[in-house]
Amino acid sequence: MAGVAGGNDFQWCFSQVKGAIDEDVAEADIISTVEFNHSGEFLATGDKGGRVVIFQHEQECKNRPHLRGEYNVYSTFQSHEPEFDYLKSLEIEEKINKIRWLPQQNSAHFLLSTNDKTIKLWKISERDKRAEGYNLKDEDGRLRDPFRITSLRVPVLMPMDLMVEASPRRVFANAHTYHINSISVNSDHQTYLSADDLRINLWHLEITDRSFNIVDIKPANMEELTEVITAAECQPNQCNVFVYSSSKGTIRLCDMRAAALCDRHTKFFEEPEDPSSRSFFSEIISSISDVKFSHSGRYMMTRDYLSVKVWDLNMENRPVETYQVHEYLRSKLCSLYENDCIFDKFECCWNGSDSAIMTGSYNNFFRMFDRNTRKDITLEASRESSKPRGTLKPRKVSTGGKRKKDEISVDSLDFNKKILHTAWHPKENVIAVAATNNLYIFQDKIN
Amino acid sequence: MEFKVEAHRIMSISLGKIYNSRVQRGGIKLHKNLLVSLVLRSARQVYLSDYYGGICLSAQQAREWCEGEYMASKQGKLVPGSTESLSESDEQSEVAVDKQEPRDVVESPAGLHVETQASGEQDSAENGVSDSGCSDIKTPEESPEATQTCEVASVVTAISSNCISAPSPSDPKEETETPTDCQTDNSESAEKHSYEPKAPQAYTNRKRTADDSELTDSPTKRTKLTSTSLPSTNDENKGETEEMDTSNVSSLITIFGSSFSGLLSNKEGEQPDSEAEDSDSGQICCDQMLKNLNPWSTAIVAF
Repeated sequence: MAGVAGGNDFQWCFSQVKGAIDEDVAEADIISTVEFNHSGEFLATGDKGGRVVIFQHEQECKNRPHLRGEYNVYSTFQSHEPEFDYLKSLEIEEKINKIRWLPQQNSAHFLLSTNDKTIKLWKISERDKRAEGYNLKDEDGRLRDPFRITSLRVPVLMPMDLMVEASPRRVFANAHTYHINSISVNSDHQTYLSADDLRINLWHLEITDRSFNIVDIKPANMEELTEVITAAECQPNQCNVFVYSSSKGTIRLCDMRAAALCDRHTKFFEEPEDPSSRSFFSEIISSISDVKFSHSGRYMMTRDYLSVKVWDLNMENRPVETYQVHEYLRSKLCSLYENDCIFDKFECCWNGSDSAIMTGSYNNFFRMFDRNTRKDITLEASRESSKPRGTLKPRKVSTGGKRKKDEISVDSLDFNKKILHTAWHPKENVIAVAATNNLYIFQDKIN
Repeated sequence: MEFKVEAHRIMSISLGKIYNSRVQRGGIKLHKNLLVSLVLRSARQVYLSDYYGGICLSAQQAREWCEGEYMASKQGKLVPGSTESLSESDEQSEVAVDKQEPRDVVESPAGLHVETQASGEQDSAENGVSDSGCSDIKTPEESPEATQTCEVASVVTAISSNCISAPSPSDPKEETETPTDCQTDNSESAEKHSYEPKAPQAYTNRKRTADDSELTDSPTKRTKLTSTSLPSTNDENKGETEEMDTSNVSSLITIFGSSFSGLLSNKEGEQPDSEAEDSDSGQICCDQMLKNLNPWSTAIVAF
C-alpha cells in the first residue's frame, strides 16, 4: 500500500460526504463511532441517537473502471434506546460507543454495538426473494377460508426488491456497573470482551445471561482509586492475549492462560514521564483514549491527548515511535481544560499494511503519519475543501509569530469541530472520517 | 503569587465541573471526574505549598491587610452571614498560623518540595514563599470562591498541624458514631460556599452534631461541617463521586497516618463488591467519608 503524504504518486482526494449540511446540528446526529468490516465492503457508523447506519461499497462501474465505487446507505436501524435505571435514578444514554464487526461466516453480516451499559449483536441480512402461492393465506396475508381451498400448490420463490433486515440476535445486558468504553471481538470468533471503567468481561457470543470477569481493578476501598480502564482490545492473532489501557498512560497486556482473573498483567507498558513538562494537566493528557493493535499483531498504537505512540509488544519500557499530533496545544491546556476539550477522546487507526497511522484533531483536521518515510500530513474534512474527486490540500497550523499564507493560527482553530473517529479501509486506501454529524470518505487518486 | 491565583482558578473550575457532572445526562462519568479530581489535587498542592510558605509572616499583619482587602473586594456573592464564616475562617487561619509557626522550618521545605513536584511551571520556590506570605492569607478573602479555599486551606492546615502535633487515629473512628445527618441547613451552607450560592447542595458540608466533643482532642482541627440534604436519588452519585475523590482522600490518609478502612468497616456491611449494593453503600460510605473529609473534598463527595 502506498504511503500517505507528499510523493508524486499519492494524493488523497475527496470522494463523498454523508450527512446533513445545515449549521444546526442535532445532538442525536453526531457520529460517535465508525468502523469498516473485515472486507471493507461495509462501513458502519453509530450516532448519539442510538442509530446505526451501514453503508455498502458499490461495485465499480464496468464502463468507468478508473473510478472507485461509492458507499451508499445499505441499512439503518435503531440499535439502542434511552433507558432509565430506576435503582440509581440515572438515565442511560443511547449513544453508540463502539461498533465491531464479526468476521463473516455466511451470507448475513453480524456486528456488535454497545452503549454505556448494553451490548447487542445485530444480524443484517438481505432478502431478495419472496414466497408466493401459499395455501392457507392470500397474497396480501389474509387467511383463506378453508372451505374454499380445493387444491394444493407448492409456494414458489419470486424475486422482490432487495430488503435489508437488521434484527437483534443477542442482548448482553446487566454486566457492567460503569460505562462501557470498548468491545473487541476475539480471534477465536466465539468470544469477545467488553470493558468499562473498572472491569473487563469476557463473553461468549451465544450466551447472554452470564459473562466472565477477567479484569477487575476496582479497589476494595473506592477511596484508593487512582486509575480507570480507558480502552481494551484483543490481540488479533492470539486468542488468549488482550491489552487494556489506563487513565495513567499505561498499557497492560494480559494472558488469559495465566489465570482466570487477569489482574496481574503479563506485560506492563509505560513510558517514563518527562519531568520538565509537568503541569497541572499532565495526568489528564497522559490518559490514553484509544489502543489499537496493528494488523500484524506485533505492534500496538496508543493515543493520548497530544500524541500517538507505537509500541512494540516486545519492549515495555518505551514506545518505538512517537508522533506529535498537535503539540501546539500544550501551551493552551488550561483553556482546553476550561472548555472541556482536554477530555476529548480521540481514536486512532492503522492502514491495512500497518505502514501508516491516522488520528483526528481539531478544526476538522486529521493527521496521517507514514511510519516508513516519517512524513506526516494534516488534512481537513470540510465542505469547502471537498470538491468532487478534488485533491485535498495539506493544511498547516502556524505556531510561531509569523503566519504564512494558507496557514491557520492556533487561536483561530475551531475546537467545536473535532475529529474523534476515523477508520481506514482494511485493504485499500479509503478512509472514513467523522466530523460531528458528517461522514467524509476520502480515497487515493488512481492515476 | 500568580501560581496561587491560577491554582485558585483551577480549583474553582474543577469544582464547577464536578458539580455540573451530576446533572449531565447518562450519569456521572467516573473517568472524567477522576481526572478532574487529580487536577484539583495538583492545584490544591500548589495552593497549600504557597500557603505553608506564607505562614512565616506575622499573622496579625496579614490579617489586618486581609480585612482591608476583603472589604474592598466584596462582590455581593456572599449571602448574609458569610461574614461570620469569614471571621471564623480568619480565626481558623490565625489559630492555624499560631500553631504552625514553630513548624515553619519543617513545613516550608516540605511545602516547597510539594510545590515543585506539583507543577513544573512553578517559579523558584523561594520567591513563592516570601511573596506569598501576605497573599496567602489575603487571597482567601479576595474573591467569593476563594472563601471556600480559604476554609479549605485553614482546615487542611489545621488537619496537618493536628497530625504533626497529635495524630489521633481514633478521630476518624469516632466520627462514625455520628448518625447519618442529612439536615438541610441552607443558610449555613450558603455562607460556607459562596461559589454556587444557588446550589448549596453541591458544596456544603455535613453537620457533625456529635463531633464537637471529639474535636476537643485536637483544638486546632476545627472542621465544623454543616450538613446538607441531598435527595436519596443521588445515592449513586454520591457513591460514584466518593470514588472519584480518592486521590484527595489518599492524601488525607497519608496526612492522618491512619487508614480509612477501619472507619468504613465499622458500619454494617457497607463496601461490598457487588454492584447491586453500590447505591446503598454509596450513601453510607459517603456519609462516613464526609465526616472525615475537609470541606472542599466534601464538596466533591457531597453529590
